[in-house]
Amino acid sequence: MERDPRRRGHRPLPSSSSSSGRTVIPDSRSNFVPSRRSHGEAWNRNASSFHSRGRSSRNPPPGSANSDGRDPSGTVSGLEEAAEESSGDVPSLVGTCPFMCPASEMAQRERLRDLAVFERLHGNPKKTSPDLAVKKFCRTISTKDVKSSDVRPLSVLENTLDYLLNLMDSSGEPFEVVHDFIFDRTRSIRQDLSMQNIVDRKAISMFEKMVKFHVISHHKLQFSSEGTHHLEVSSSHHLNMEQLAKTLTSLYHLYELNRVPDSAFENEPEFRSLYVLLCLNYESPMKGESLALWFRHVPASVIRSKEMIFARTVLRCFRFGNYKRFLDTVAAEASFLQFCILESHINEVRALAVSCINSSGYKLHPFSLANLSSLLMMKESEAESFCNACGLEISIDNHGNKMLPTKQSTFSRPKAGFGNYGFLCPGRTDK
Amino acid sequence: MAYMSMGEAHRRITDYLNHFSDAVYDQDAASLKLILSLSSNSPSQLSLADALNIFQDANRLIKQSDKHSQFGEIVVPLFRSLQNYRLGNLVDAYNAYEKAANAFIQEFRNWDSAWALEALYVIAYEIRVLAERADRELASGGKSPEKLKGAGSFLMKVFGVLAGKGPKRVGALYVTCQLFKIYFKLGTVHLCRSVIRSIETVRDFEEFPKRDKVTYMYYTGRLDVFNENFSAADHKLSYALTHCNPQSEANIRMILKYLIPVKLSIGILPQDCLLQKYNLVEYRNVVLALRRGDLRLLRTALEEHEDRFLRSGVYLVLEKLELQVYQRLLKKIYIIQKQRDPSRAHQMKLEVIVRALKWLKIDMDLDEVECIVAILIYKNLVKGYFAHKSKVVVLSKQDPFPKLNAENADSHSLAKGHYEAH
Repeated sequence: MERDPRRRGHRPLPSSSSSSGRTVIPDSRSNFVPSRRSHGEAWNRNASSFHSRGRSSRNPPPGSANSDGRDPSGTVSGLEEAAEESSGDVPSLVGTCPFMCPASEMAQRERLRDLAVFERLHGNPKKTSPDLAVKKFCRTISTKDVKSSDVRPLSVLENTLDYLLNLMDSSGEPFEVVHDFIFDRTRSIRQDLSMQNIVDRKAISMFEKMVKFHVISHHKLQFSSEGTHHLEVSSSHHLNMEQLAKTLTSLYHLYELNRVPDSAFENEPEFRSLYVLLCLNYESPMKGESLALWFRHVPASVIRSKEMIFARTVLRCFRFGNYKRFLDTVAAEASFLQFCILESHINEVRALAVSCINSSGYKLHPFSLANLSSLLMMKESEAESFCNACGLEISIDNHGNKMLPTKQSTFSRPKAGFGNYGFLCPGRTDK
Repeated sequence: MAYMSMGEAHRRITDYLNHFSDAVYDQDAASLKLILSLSSNSPSQLSLADALNIFQDANRLIKQSDKHSQFGEIVVPLFRSLQNYRLGNLVDAYNAYEKAANAFIQEFRNWDSAWALEALYVIAYEIRVLAERADRELASGGKSPEKLKGAGSFLMKVFGVLAGKGPKRVGALYVTCQLFKIYFKLGTVHLCRSVIRSIETVRDFEEFPKRDKVTYMYYTGRLDVFNENFSAADHKLSYALTHCNPQSEANIRMILKYLIPVKLSIGILPQDCLLQKYNLVEYRNVVLALRRGDLRLLRTALEEHEDRFLRSGVYLVLEKLELQVYQRLLKKIYIIQKQRDPSRAHQMKLEVIVRALKWLKIDMDLDEVECIVAILIYKNLVKGYFAHKSKVVVLSKQDPFPKLNAENADSHSLAKGHYEAH
């Protein structure tokens, strides 16, 4: 039975410039479909007067970059999570909670002493305040039962997010603790966003910040606090990667939903490039689609952006094995976020370089450590310990120079992974 | 809409109803399939549609007779679908057709033998095609297109009905192919996995009809290309090519579009006349670059057709060919050196390589060239070693440029002998 939007007093939006049927297909996993507003309509910033008609406002963007009208990336994950948990055909809410945490939850958690370290007023585990308490992520929510007083409107969510991200730098707690807190509380933010069906450019901006959080966490969690040589990937690291992938996918979906012809999202190229870089992993955390298929959905303007070209160059060098150009390109062009994602591969590439040199180099011409370390973009001391970690010995020649003799038969990739080596790039100081 | 008298309309409708019932009683799939097809736009279907719109009370006719009423669940929505189709209401036409198809499947389940498979094929085809058109209608009206997705779900159900043991199983591959077409169009290619798994459990793949096997191999071959499983892709796409109808040039072209990059990556090059014949000119410069060892040509060829290659998903495969181009370049230098001074040919200064690349307008320093040589040696594309201090590559005296993949070095007799080993 067709739902006639006109009956609800909601006029279908005029499909303006491009009428060639470019639309978004909702994913069957989400119970409600993100609504779209025409680019001609002024964005209504005030969340409380923003009324979405829920499923009836199924209006497509006037121009979608994807000419086949396909939904490129599946559901928006924050939306997906809420949708999985919500049941049935409920129109989206408008939140009215003025604080970072609903009063009822605050009171309850005070009673149960369920307050995170950041939420405690003067360290008191039984007392919090509206400035400190942040709504927790709740897995078992059914939107039928949710009260609008428990849901935070857009402006509150924006402030909450900024508050949380500030904790990254300001808190004295160890990073894992900060990370876990922000991880959970940003998930709750995504939940509130999706329950209210907020999928506009403000949502994009928030998702970009959240992806950035996960990328930086990826970088910081690589080497757990048990010392630089404890190399097992911690479960936080793994869960973070999972959430990074989900949030990134949702972000791409938001880009698609909001796309209008002749305008671009400022950060989209960089965030798209991260997907390519994540695919350097043998088992890419971006499940579902091979890179070849993914490229089909990316708008041409993004493909030709500086950031994407960088990522594609890096990918090409990686797959080819051109370790020199890989390291040179990363050194010269990687942005901070891109570098965070690439970090774990840098050591892989270095190992490949060492392995190649070792197996292909002439026995009587050992490689000087100085040369090697500049090739690998490492300090000499680190290059030496890197070679040792790979089972290779450094010897000293007649002039007292350190050398890597080739054709050593003892090369092996370190089983426990790589340690934390620096990245030395001449001319750049931001590493 | 043609003019028709009431009596005439009545007659056409009852004729159709009789055809339908008779076809079922006589187990006459050939007749049945004709009357189930909407998109064929046959004149008899169109005039039936006109008749329905004039007569307006076909349902009464159906209910009146026992012979027809037992198929009422199928025919009533089928009529509605036909009427809507005629009037250009594709969404309503699709919805009604799906209802009719559903009822048909229920009946089909109860029929013991597989006599109605041909008719079922028509239904599967129509479901997909009508859904595509319905989606276009939705999209142009500013609504979200969801019918093709629904068609996918429906066909999965049909697949389930066919997939058990018994004579009906042969039909499963056709439905699979319709599903592939839907998933590829929607971009939800990962959904192919579950049907593929089911088909793979069938012990005797050869029992399926040839046409379906070719289509199946084509799509699964493409999936292998996307996932860069080259030997599997080669096997499947080659199968499709060998068994494809040689008259069907469009199909051959589609298969070659994916087979050529696969073959290139294992070092087998098509002849230029093949590319010309099937209008696959986008590959011409790629092939030429491989033959010549011309790195610049490869890069410009990829750039020139970047959009096309990205869209078909072969870009990354073609990018990988750089390795082979380098190998070819080195081989050429080696051959030239051999002509000049055979005793010293196996020693190649890195400087010479740098110069050769410069001649191709590619700027590369000694360190990077050394890196590339090291990698080529590491990957067994070049046999030898590099001397770091003297900046020289020393090639093995025997077979310094091994063939890419020994098993595939033999020329294949595919594509009517247009392939040669590189």
